[in-house]
Amino acid sequence: MGEVELSCRAYVKMYLHCCLFPRCSINGLLLSSSTAGDAVCVTDCVPLLHSHLSLAPITQLALTQVDVWCSQTQQRIVGYYQANACVSDSSPTPCALKIADKISEQFENAVLLMLDGSKMSADYRVPPIVMYERKDSRWTLKDKHTIMLRQWEETRAIAGQMLDSGDHSLLVDFDSHLDDITKDWTNQKLNNKIAELASPANGSM
Amino acid sequence: MIENREMRDKLRKWREENCRNSEQIVDVGEELISEHASKLGDDIWIIYEQVMIAALDCSRDDLALTCLQELEKQFSDSHRVKRLSGMRLEALERYDEANKDYDAILQDDPTNTAARKRKISILKAQGKSAEAIRELNEYLEQFVGDQEAWHELSELYINEHDYGKAAFCLEELMMTNPHNHLYCEQYAEVKYTQGGLENLELSRKYFAQALRLNNRNMRALFGLYMSASHIAASPKVSAKVKKDNMKYAAWAATQINRAYKYTDTLKRHIVHLGGHAEAAMKQYPLPVFDSGWLVAGPRRTNAP
Repeated sequence: MGEVELSCRAYVKMYLHCCLFPRCSINGLLLSSSTAGDAVCVTDCVPLLHSHLSLAPITQLALTQVDVWCSQTQQRIVGYYQANACVSDSSPTPCALKIADKISEQFENAVLLMLDGSKMSADYRVPPIVMYERKDSRWTLKDKHTIMLRQWEETRAIAGQMLDSGDHSLLVDFDSHLDDITKDWTNQKLNNKIAELASPANGSM
Repeated sequence: MIENREMRDKLRKWREENCRNSEQIVDVGEELISEHASKLGDDIWIIYEQVMIAALDCSRDDLALTCLQELEKQFSDSHRVKRLSGMRLEALERYDEANKDYDAILQDDPTNTAARKRKISILKAQGKSAEAIRELNEYLEQFVGDQEAWHELSELYINEHDYGKAAFCLEELMMTNPHNHLYCEQYAEVKYTQGGLENLELSRKYFAQALRLNNRNMRALFGLYMSASHIAASPKVSAKVKKDNMKYAAWAATQINRAYKYTDTLKRHIVHLGGHAEAAMKQYPLPVFDSGWLVAGPRRTNAP
């Protein structure tokens, strides 16, 4: 199976999603805007829920809405991420496997990403993620060497900086959107902030 | 002086509403305690308790310990303070020691509900869901009116995918809180998840009930649309049932579109998409409710 690349924007938003709801299990979808060859390039993510992950209605609704948005913005759903409330257990739950299965029905090289809460302390050096891919109808651990995070140090710095300045409170997941539909679950504001931090050299004129 | 009063009022409001905004409580509480302790009178003890629990939630063991020590000095033999001491041990993952504290309380006072609930929380933290569920069930046999416990049990069952039992807990809650739209809506979600025609019809009814209680509950509105659509699409229903459910679905769809129109979120998205504005507007009436994800099987096979 091919390589998977995780963009700065996708990683930072997942990280901030975890930080916004540290006491809940959270999940979301991984998106890609490129269709290049074998490698899967995760360019963005949409945070979904922070409560009742295993109940069907809102999950189905969110999948449908994100699907439509993707088709209008030349993106596709290429994976699923989840972080468990219980920090000591980062293994995929039945609900994670089910949703990942559904995604892989539409995208063969779908990935399942679990965030490892125990590795998210301020001094962590390694990306706190565990990735699974689908082999022979089962989700198996992906070889770490096929997972790429370009400019990891910079990404890590941006994530830390945004957490320190309280930017995680700007993140909107689908659950929050349903509580207040004026909130934007595509997180354009946050995307812009991340982009600003990522390229100060190219920044404002 | 004014600041002091404001801070105290904030803390009181959060206490009364049982908010878990621990970071804020620590911020306000820490300042209040360090700058204005002498002016708080007897309030200080309840503030110490509140701040201590919030501090544990934020891994501020230093602050938690300070608060605990003040409380222990003042109320040396109190069960309430002993429970706080136990909670600190829990935060440090010293579960055996915490359990000893709670067992000591229960030996003295077998009706102490707080200690029992802490013991159940420890089981939950250790990932021992089955045991936590068993203990919570036993607890509820004795304390059948404890709403918080019923809700906790429903959450545990949902995590274990035991939807039938989760529904039972929510039924208890709905009986004692008939005006609470959230319980209705959660019950409807559980029924929907269980699936099957009968459960779908029940879910639709309860989504509708939730809406009657609070017509701004978006989850209930979407839930009504989805359950009604599913029923209408089922080959097992009569023509009349089909027609009725299509009507309910259409009604819900109109309400949803209305809600989004007024928020302008739609326009913002479309503007962001650039030139596709007109086409998207026309398409939006209900593309999201196309059957794709609701019914098993892929909808599209071509890449975007």
